[in-house]
Formats: sequence, structure tokens, C-alpha cells
Amino acid sequence: MSTGRDQRLADTFVSLADTLVADFDVLDFLGLLTERAVELLEVDAAGVILSDQRGGWRPAAGSSEHAELVEVLAAQTREGPCLDCVRTGEVVASADLVAEQDRWPLFAPAAVEAGFRAACALPMRLRDDIIGALTLLHVEPITIDDSTVALGRALADIATIGILQQRAVRREEVVSEQLQAALHHRTVVEQAKGVLAEVGGLDMNQSYVLLRDYARAHQLRLSDLARDVATGAVDAADMVAWDADARTAGS
Amino acid sequence: MHNRRARLRELLVADRAAGGAVSTVALVCARCVVELSVTGAGATVLSEHHVDGDRAAPANRGLVHATDPVSAGLEDLQLTVGEGPCLDSFESGGPVLVADLAADGARWPAFTPGALALGAAAVFSFPLQFGVVRLGSLDLYRDVPGPLTRTEVTDALILSDMATQGVVEDLDGHATADLSWLLDPHVEVHQAAGMVQAQLGVSTDVALMRLRGHAFTHDLPLAEVARRVVARTLRFARDEGR
Repeated sequence: MSTGRDQRLADTFVSLADTLVADFDVLDFLGLLTERAVELLEVDAAGVILSDQRGGWRPAAGSSEHAELVEVLAAQTREGPCLDCVRTGEVVASADLVAEQDRWPLFAPAAVEAGFRAACALPMRLRDDIIGALTLLHVEPITIDDSTVALGRALADIATIGILQQRAVRREEVVSEQLQAALHHRTVVEQAKGVLAEVGGLDMNQSYVLLRDYARAHQLRLSDLARDVATGAVDAADMVAWDADARTAGS
Repeated sequence: MHNRRARLRELLVADRAAGGAVSTVALVCARCVVELSVTGAGATVLSEHHVDGDRAAPANRGLVHATDPVSAGLEDLQLTVGEGPCLDSFESGGPVLVADLAADGARWPAFTPGALALGAAAVFSFPLQFGVVRLGSLDLYRDVPGPLTRTEVTDALILSDMATQGVVEDLDGHATADLSWLLDPHVEVHQAAGMVQAQLGVSTDVALMRLRGHAFTHDLPLAEVARRVVARTLRFARDEGR
């Protein structure tokens, strides 16, 4: 492992630990975790899916919210390495999705169409349960090496800790409460993205970036800001104007 | 798990056929008592939603369903003292599961003594919601302490989905088997609701009902209507989708 990677790893753990404080927001945390996974593991995209506890799986976070990635993350809740991973609890990888048409007849062509050639899914394990998975995607066919898998497993474990927040898991119920809350907040973020997309004429990734950047600049929790946008407590037009000002100032 | 969902759905259909015109929420409450190891079930449906309205009025208590007097008392108590598992479930966005109410007495200093006096030893609240749209809550209690099993939590979540679906059907009158707005991992339905609320200047609940109305009148899956909205090939005007 290179020294540069060691430094990035240390930075990642520090920044993730920083978010595990009193004003913790699970979506901020998972968003940051997938962004850092991309940098640290040198992959092109990353996403987290969580159990809906009804027998299904739902996307909770992605390293970007570009339509192609969102579509792949949604598709993998029905078939693919991620679903195999959560069912078996094992790491499931494919070095070339073009060769996996028989293994995943729906997922493999969809992922290739979206521009991804390799995938690796890492389980989020809590005792005997699998509560979700971290998926890594490459645009080139590539075999993911053991050290990357080991680091990815560590990030998946941190994601599990984040879902549980700082609460000591004395009670199994906490897992249910937190998983459902995370998925609820994800729905609210999607509603807020829709409002911003319409008001600002933005695509869904731009809407997400605006939501995220505005929350960070104003030290708001992503979930709180999303709720206020969706209920109209925060004026979406003001946020769009702020975004335009920030870009002008930055250029 | 799909078998569990299918089984519960069939049971509710049979319950409805056997009981005549009863609301879905009331049927779900009764089914919770049969399926889960709980003593009683209650639900409060918030009455802030108006299909024709613009902004939602402040949250008002609407219809209360309860399978027994203790459940009815617990619904009343939370609204009287302004705290409790149901209100916390809206705050957190997820269920609030308290297996031993007496052991967690500091959490709700006003609610807990009243609930224990009523005869509740464990309480489990599941929010009925669609993102920011709060429709109500499904509140279960047990007269002895103890957690819901994992399977019971799964069934309670499925039953709360059905209650949520029932509340929305009661609001807009479109009874369909299309659950994509609740369960589809594709997120366009949620995004489309946000876009349509901005197009119409209405709240999210009204936007959802316009989307459902459009799907119903055009005989399209809701997910397809949502995809068209997000792709900007379908826009809603003030009188669209009624």
C-alpha cells in the first residue's frame, strides 16, 4: 500500500469520525462515505443499499446522483453482485460484467449500458445479520485486489456503525428504527431534489449537489434541509439564487 | 418475504369481504392483533390533507381507530400530553419500538405514567408517511413487556404499508394495487412529487394525489407517470389529473 493511500485512509477515517458527533445525519454520513470510497479505493463510483426489512433492498446513498449510477444502484436491488452479496454475506465481485450475461441476465447488460465494466459488493454485517452492502463500480474491466477489498470491508463496517449512530446497540429494535429512518430521509431527499430540479431547471444530480453544498455551507443537516425544502419552509428559489451567486464568486 | 406480503394482503381482502365497508386502517389494526403478539392496536389518521386544497393546514387529529379501550386511551393520551412513541416516530422518521415501557420511564415523563396506568407495558409505533407527507401512525401495545420478534417487525412494517396505502386511497378515491409509490426502489415517484408540487404551487401530499390521479385516469403505472415527469415530457397544470 502506498504512503499516499495511507494518508488518504487516515484522512478518511478522521473525516468520517468527525461526522459521528451529536448532530449526526445518517445521509450526510453515507454520502461522504461513498465519496471517500471512490477516492480511497480508486474506483469510479460507489453506492450503499440498505435492507427495507420487508424482504427488499433500497438504495440509500451514492457517490454521485447521475442518472446512470442511480439506475444501476436501483437495478442491483433486484439482481447482481450486490443482491448476491446481501443474500450470502460474502464479497461478490466481477472483473468484467460483459462476461456475466448468464450470471446476471438483467443487471450485467444494464450496468454495461450505463458505462460500468467491473463491480464488487461488500456486505454490511451486524452480528449475524446483513443490513446492507457497499458496492464499488469501475468503468474499466479490472480485478479488485485484496488490499482494496480489505479496505472496502473496513468502510462497509464503518457504514454499519454509522447506521446505528452512536447508540449502543443494546436492543435489536434500534437497528429497525435506524434503518427505517434512514430510508425515510432518503425519500425526503428525493422529494427535495424534485422541487429544486423544477424550480432551478436542474437535473437530479445538480439538485443533489445543490442540496448537499447548501447544507454544508450553512452547517445544516442534509435531512433537515431536505425536509424544509420539501415542506416549503426553505424557499427553493433562494437556494437556486445562492447557488448561482456561489458559482459566480467561485469562477 | 413476498409471500408474507401476499398472505397479509389476502387476509385483509378476506377481512374486508367478511366485515363489509370498513376502512383499511381499521382492518389493519384488527389484523395486527391477530398476527402479532400484541394486545391491542390503534391508529390516528391526521386530517390535514385536502385533495383540492393548496397548503396543508396545521396537523389536526382525524379519525382514530382502536381495537380496544386501552388502545383508544393511548391515542388520546399522546395527543393530550404532546409526547409519546407516535410523535417520536414522526420526529425520527422510523418506528419507535419500546419493549419495556417501565424500564424507559425517563423518555416520556408525561406519557409513560399514563400509559402504564392504562395497562400498556410495551408500545410500538409505526409512522404512516410518504416522505414529508405525514398521514398518521399505527400504534401497537402489549400488556406484558417484551420485544416484537424480527418476523413480527417485518409483518408490522408490511401492515403499516397497507395502512398507508389505505389512507391515501381514502383521500383520493383511487383504489389500485399499484404500490410503486411506496415500495419501488426507483426514486422517480418521489422526485416527481417534488417537481409537481413546484409546478402547481401545492404541498407534497396534493402533488402525490395529482400523480396518482393522472395514473388512474390514463391507466398508466404510477412509476411510468413519474418517469415522464422527471424526463420533463409531462408537466402538470392547475387542472391536470383531477
